[in-house]
Amino acid sequence: MPDAHVRALPAELTIYTVAELHPQWLKWLATTGDAGDAEGCVVDAAAVEQADAAGVQLLLSLSSALQRQGRALQLRAPSTALLAACEALGLADWAASLQATEEAA
Amino acid sequence: MKQPATDTDFISETLPIFISEAQEQIESFEQLLLRLEDAPQDRELLDALFRCAHTVKGSAGIFGLDAVVAFTHHVETLLDRLREGLVVLTPELSTLLLQGNDEIRSLVTAAKDPAPAHDAGALQARATLVQRLQRVSGQDAAPTAPLAAAETQADAGPAAAVQRWQLSARFGSDTFRNGMDPGAILGYLRGLGAVSGLHCATDAVPALDALDPESCHLGFRFALDTAAPQSDIEAAFTFVRDDCELQITPPEAQARAPDPQGAPRANATASKPAAADDNRYIRVHADRLDAVINLLGELVIAGAGAALMARQTKQRGLIEANLQMARLIEEIRNGTLQLRMVPIVETFSRFRRVVRDTAGELGKDVALEITGGETEMDKSVVERIADPLMHLVRNALDHGLEPPAERVAAGKPAQGRLTLSARHESGVIAIHIEDDGRGIHRQKVLQRAWDRGLVERGVVPPDNDILNLIFEAGFSTAEKVTNLSGRGVGMDVVRRNIQALRGSVTLHSVEGQGSRIEIRLPLTLAIIDGFLIGVGSSRFIFPLDAVVEVIESRQDATASGTDARGRSVMALRGQMLPVVNLRTLYALDSPEPDRHSVVVLQASGRRFGVRVDQLLGQHQAVIKPLGHLFGSLRGMSGSSILGNGEVALIFDVNALSQLAADAPGRPAALLKNPNHAASAEGHNA
Repeated sequence: MPDAHVRALPAELTIYTVAELHPQWLKWLATTGDAGDAEGCVVDAAAVEQADAAGVQLLLSLSSALQRQGRALQLRAPSTALLAACEALGLADWAASLQATEEAA
Repeated sequence: MKQPATDTDFISETLPIFISEAQEQIESFEQLLLRLEDAPQDRELLDALFRCAHTVKGSAGIFGLDAVVAFTHHVETLLDRLREGLVVLTPELSTLLLQGNDEIRSLVTAAKDPAPAHDAGALQARATLVQRLQRVSGQDAAPTAPLAAAETQADAGPAAAVQRWQLSARFGSDTFRNGMDPGAILGYLRGLGAVSGLHCATDAVPALDALDPESCHLGFRFALDTAAPQSDIEAAFTFVRDDCELQITPPEAQARAPDPQGAPRANATASKPAAADDNRYIRVHADRLDAVINLLGELVIAGAGAALMARQTKQRGLIEANLQMARLIEEIRNGTLQLRMVPIVETFSRFRRVVRDTAGELGKDVALEITGGETEMDKSVVERIADPLMHLVRNALDHGLEPPAERVAAGKPAQGRLTLSARHESGVIAIHIEDDGRGIHRQKVLQRAWDRGLVERGVVPPDNDILNLIFEAGFSTAEKVTNLSGRGVGMDVVRRNIQALRGSVTLHSVEGQGSRIEIRLPLTLAIIDGFLIGVGSSRFIFPLDAVVEVIESRQDATASGTDARGRSVMALRGQMLPVVNLRTLYALDSPEPDRHSVVVLQASGRRFGVRVDQLLGQHQAVIKPLGHLFGSLRGMSGSSILGNGEVALIFDVNALSQLAADAPGRPAALLKNPNHAASAEGHNA
């Protein structure tokens, strides 16, 4: 799988980093879209140590942007911290569905 | 996070902001509590009160002000008990909370000083206060608890049993920016009970390209199984309350709604613009504002100069351009001065506490009435009038109003009345402090003045002058010196402070019926709209608001009846109008012109005329204080520099009207130093 399709998440996915991540992700979204890949985009979430609602919201937004393009977000090896944050916000099912997609693929 | 290196900088920069905001919270805490005393059932007030204490505690925590946090915690606990209905607000409790608030205030103030002096007495006092707070919120709560539980029962089913609440919350867009995390709030609720059926409404989250990553677009709906009362559930949302759409459906309401999962969800419309009120204010350093106003003063002078030169060139285009500019400058001036205007109610409402405490201490029952609190005046004036007002209010409470028994004996209602009022009055603010107390005993005042040598023994001045003797230095009529007032340092200082603001203070009193103190203050200290006139080569300015009309004087009203100080009368539409001739009054050395005009002025309800040579029209005067040389000159309040560099003196219309009205034959009051007066009159002759 080409590198451009995998995006590694930083250790901190919180209100302190979202403003910085947002433009990077937008750029990434544009380049992978150009590649014409219909499969999906993979986000490597193993490194996430801290996540809050702002961080999770950014992931949600990325996911819905991909969905609109007919693609799907895939969450690879999400860390316990990220899963816990999703669960705390009632998004455990959503997080699980993102992983399931990858396993199926 | 990336702070460690800059932590100290951060704290030193933001600590003053914290202190000023905490002081505001403490101030509103006091006001809210006093309002709550009048309306003990007002839930909103109580919640707002709690938020004040909570905010102070929270932000003090950020700055590591442990003493503030620790102490405020106890106050907060007591407020929490109040919110739960476990404790009832009694006057004693209210006093305790006020004392607690005072302690928070002094702790916050002490935070300014990095090396606080540890005063054993203060520590002891604080410990006692903490004990009292704990006692009322803790032990007293136990016996009343069943009662309160019964109330809750009527309200929301059996209190002890676990209840299922339905909650839906849509967080405001500023939630993240305000440092709040919905996850943490949910976490807090999990501490209260079991959260189930949590659904995150993500439909409002925009796609990545349209997302502001720091705005919150999340909403939640869930069921909470808990035994905690509604107030505890609401408390979780304390900090986001203002911009959060929150719906809490209590258990019994769900009985009517058969499907618990279908319980009302937050309306998914875009969240409303959050906390709009906060955004309407900008904190500006007072110094910067002052700098702008100073510059503006210079601009007004420069503008006047340019307009004058334009008129001399007689070029129409240039004159018109200057007029346009003058109009804009005036608008900017008004707008800028408006920035400094604050409603006086902020100062007035401070006295609620003073009246409450002082009356309690003296065993008196006093109702404070405040009217005209919306009257606006310059912030610097408001700040500097607070102390003199405080003194006058205390005086009224201490000396003026009688104890209930004495009032009843005198045929008055047991409750005394103290009124603070403010209103605009032709370019000045008039503040009245009125009480229905015993009034001032003229004979006692006179006796004291004789004893102190303020008036020669045996001389009896007119009634009003006797009253105003109390403003003389070293005068105090209190038979018993209390710790509130009556130290004999008061009234003369009050008068001096008010005069320093270009104001005046007068006292009216009817024995047995009460006293009224009237303070008149200028709206602002910086600029006035003036009316420029000329006498000979001298230029003078009247405050435009005081000018009623201008009339061409008829020949018969001139020199005929003029006395030694240039005063005469003329008939104006069938009424006699006293007229002052400035040339004689101020001994101006110039020949009388053929024609003259009379400017009719109004001051303190009296009209009088001033005879002048030339009318030079409206003029914006930037007020400069009078130097020492002119300090002894009565009737003047300041000076101003005209566009052409000439100096014009600005009249204090009130003082001038007194000069016009002073009974003839009294020693000249024009100059405070009689020698000067003599030489001035001699010069004139």
